Amino acid sequence: MEPLFHAATYTGYVYPNETVIPWTVLIVVYPYLTGLVAGAFTVSSLYHVFGMQRFKPVAQFALLASLCLMIFVPLPLLLHLGHPERAFNAVITPHWTSAFAVFGYAAGFYIILLLLENWFVFRPHIVQQAQQRKGLPGWFYRVLSLGSYDLSGKAMRYDHKWIFALAVTGIPAAHGLHGYVGFVFGSVKSREWWSSDLMPAIFLFSAIISGVALLIALYVLSCKLRKTPVDRECVKGLGYTLWGFLMFTLVLEGVEFGALVYRGREGIETILEYVTGPLIVPFFILQFAIGAVIPIAVLSYMFWEGTTGKALVAGVTLSACLVLFSVFMMRWNVVIGGQEISKTGKGLVDYQMVIFHREGLVAAASVIIAPLVLLLAMVRLFPPWADNAVPSSAPDARGEVLPRVVTETK
Amino acid sequence: MPKHIVRLIILIVAGIAAGWAAKSYFTAESFYEYGHYRAASVPEIAAQEPAYQTPRYCQACHGERHAQWSASNHKTVICETCHGAAQGHPQKAKLSIPADTRKLCTLCHEAMPGRPRTQPQVVLAQHSGGQQCIVCHNPHAPKIAGVPVKVAGDAAAGATKHAASCAGCHGAKGISPNDTWPNLAGQHGAYLARILAAYKSGDQKDVAMTPLAQALSDADIQNLAVFYAGLSCNGTATKPPAGDVAAGKALAEKNCATCHGQTGIASNPAWPILAGQKGGYLVNVLKAFRGGLRKDPMMAGVVRGLSDADIANLAAYYAGQRCEPTMQVGRTP
Amino acid sequence: MKKTNPALAARRAFLRRLGRAATYAGAALGVGSLGGVQKVAAKNESTSGTGSFPTKDYDWTKRRWAFGVDATKCIGCLRCVEACKRENNVPGDAHHFRTWVERYVYLEGEDKARIDSHHDPVNIAASGSEREYRFANRYKDAKVEKAFFVPKLCNQCTHPACVQVCPTGATYKTVDGVVLIDEKYCIGCQYCVQACPYGARFFNARKGVTEKCYWCYHRITKGLQPACVEVCPVGARIFGDLNDKQSPISLFIRNNRVHVLRPETGNAPNVFYVGLDKDVV
Repeated sequence: MEPLFHAATYTGYVYPNETVIPWTVLIVVYPYLTGLVAGAFTVSSLYHVFGMQRFKPVAQFALLASLCLMIFVPLPLLLHLGHPERAFNAVITPHWTSAFAVFGYAAGFYIILLLLENWFVFRPHIVQQAQQRKGLPGWFYRVLSLGSYDLSGKAMRYDHKWIFALAVTGIPAAHGLHGYVGFVFGSVKSREWWSSDLMPAIFLFSAIISGVALLIALYVLSCKLRKTPVDRECVKGLGYTLWGFLMFTLVLEGVEFGALVYRGREGIETILEYVTGPLIVPFFILQFAIGAVIPIAVLSYMFWEGTTGKALVAGVTLSACLVLFSVFMMRWNVVIGGQEISKTGKGLVDYQMVIFHREGLVAAASVIIAPLVLLLAMVRLFPPWADNAVPSSAPDARGEVLPRVVTETK
Repeated sequence: MPKHIVRLIILIVAGIAAGWAAKSYFTAESFYEYGHYRAASVPEIAAQEPAYQTPRYCQACHGERHAQWSASNHKTVICETCHGAAQGHPQKAKLSIPADTRKLCTLCHEAMPGRPRTQPQVVLAQHSGGQQCIVCHNPHAPKIAGVPVKVAGDAAAGATKHAASCAGCHGAKGISPNDTWPNLAGQHGAYLARILAAYKSGDQKDVAMTPLAQALSDADIQNLAVFYAGLSCNGTATKPPAGDVAAGKALAEKNCATCHGQTGIASNPAWPILAGQKGGYLVNVLKAFRGGLRKDPMMAGVVRGLSDADIANLAAYYAGQRCEPTMQVGRTP
Repeated sequence: MKKTNPALAARRAFLRRLGRAATYAGAALGVGSLGGVQKVAAKNESTSGTGSFPTKDYDWTKRRWAFGVDATKCIGCLRCVEACKRENNVPGDAHHFRTWVERYVYLEGEDKARIDSHHDPVNIAASGSEREYRFANRYKDAKVEKAFFVPKLCNQCTHPACVQVCPTGATYKTVDGVVLIDEKYCIGCQYCVQACPYGARFFNARKGVTEKCYWCYHRITKGLQPACVEVCPVGARIFGDLNDKQSPISLFIRNNRVHVLRPETGNAPNVFYVGLDKDVV
């Protein structure tokens, strides 16, 4: 039988109740997913709001990716809850002094916003499919079209206004949502490791780099799968964005960490013991050296040298993958790290991730993979590729299978 | 406005309305009544049944123990601290009488850094000689009379006093001629001194003994105690009193042996040797304890629940035991 | 003669909720004509009746509970821990405590206290199992400079961080000064476990909700003392009503210079200590 709880070993003195770590790997996944949403949405806004044309190839894809990820954001929280069936209590009677009470509303609002924006963006495709497809898919598109096939110039102008308004609203919403996730941790005064005013900003910027990195990786991967040439200008632009925000994130994290050590409040000995001990590999090596310094170096070198072509794509993609990993480690080091440093300031707890458990590795990995699977399905229902998004270019687009689409786009 | 926009707006508004309605429908009945919580949860929590019932609850049935305990220096340790929560007792649950007092008592009394100096503490290995705490200490009145009084006197002076005041009843050699008067020969000196002092102070009363003891000086008591302790108790075996010796033996093993020894030879000099004692005397004394005429916190607990037959059996058993001339010297804790 | 039929009452409650829901829905739609239903429903609403709350014999507006700990008296016997576990059905292992006792030992030549409590494997080994509670006599042969015990429990703070972060209102501060947890409403997110600076809360995996000390609210509302106070053999735990100037706790606070744990958190705890020391966390 599965044990009810997993007691952690500890060193020094920790409170007896601290030997069971309350927030596990699922709570690492939760801000990670939210961050990816915020980052991906930022990229789509760069095109939809700020009109950066070089992001056009990924703008719709980014929007779709945001939606798919956002739908799964509540899942790690639900899996973590002792009573998932009561989750709606936080929505029915939200206790507004709690950062978590906002979550239901913020997430709900944001999912609806993403649904709407996606709907407007893909409406021409929906209408076209509703008119052409038969059977169940036909029904699906006809319901989505709300029974109106109006694609006139006037209607499209309306749609664009809505898209613009939603994108503008979405920027503070996405960033607010993720800044708020930082606040969930930063406002906990009992934990020195979390309790920082910079936490929301750090979460926000690391969110943006993770989202940009995800888009780079997924876009390049999708081009390979579709056998479409990669839009190098777009990738380069994303690379610039990644580089800039990555710099900013690093500075913020450095400042936060420096301030923590410099202030040297009660329990700093234990924190230093932690930083120079258990944290060396996950923080300094994985998150910082491999995940941040290498990408910065690679990107800087390429921009300096003016690298182009395949090398640029490869370099940016590599950096993106490393950044994705780095941000995950950052979430890990914040969420798990904060709990490994005891509230007593005199001891360390050692979190051991379990493999098969509701809050184990497999569950967490599934939660990360699930939105990607959904995204795979969604790109078939709503092709987001700018290169084949021209209406009526695929008159018999019955392509449920990706390779079919690939051949058509060629 | 295009049709799809109108329909979308209607959908959104309907969704918000439905959500809002659902929110208010699912709001728990008593929520917000006193604050941001379910007011009904307060009486729910307050309605839980207490497990610990307090000494007052125990007193209803265990009055005697309660009285003894509440007068003792253990009165701050409530019944349930050692016996467990009384919830469901006596109807459903039987409370435990801790068997391993070496484990129980050391919870508080094991000498340990961090315990305040005022807390009585012992190093078990040096204190008990491997015995259970309850051998010497009554947990309901732990301060024991069982701490042996120092006996140091002049046996010759004791012999003179004996001849003058005691020999008439207790026999020239300390062997009583009467079945209801105790033999004194070979008895523990510390016990004798304690009992004589008790008669003298009035803590223990007897029509014959009280005036006699009152006439004794403290030195007399010491002398007498030393004198009797040195006498031989041999040849005291008289006719065995009526009673089932085997039953008495079984009962003695269960109730008496820890203090008075398997064969009635107490290891602690503060407590009397019973082996070879007069059967009638033993019966009388036990009944006196049972009736509260003789007071001893430990004995009161032990004899409670003994029937007349039990007492007769015990007396028969102990009276029939051989008392050895040279008493083993009890250890001083 | 009015007789309450449970089915009827349930239906009435349902209608009442429905009415309320309809009102909000109506308001949201801008109709608002159903407002009357709400008013009628509100009139019937009275869960607690007119008497005292929360029980008919206990009025929580009359009390202001507080707790005192005289650490100089504690002998570390852990009877309080055992009693608490039994009284409140706390999981019987070494990782879930509503109250626990810490031991601080300064050895000669060391300037930091060695601290342990029941979750220390040495103490578990000494007691025989996780379900028995005893401090191992591990320092008996060491050169001990100073040593003492400190009982810990929920501080029922005046500004409780746990209540602040609870997203649902499943934990709340009562009028008489105790922080309670509504086991039927808690979703088990464990945010409060994180927020408590004292480590007083833990997650009960079997029940799926958070749990902590509530000064035996079910006892103190019946005129009894908390179980730990009841069983403490040396009077190291003091409990009472601050509204009563002669209560043990009022006297304790008045006659001693008391401290609280971690005042810098701003939580304003309500367990008052005598005999703390620099290293006490």
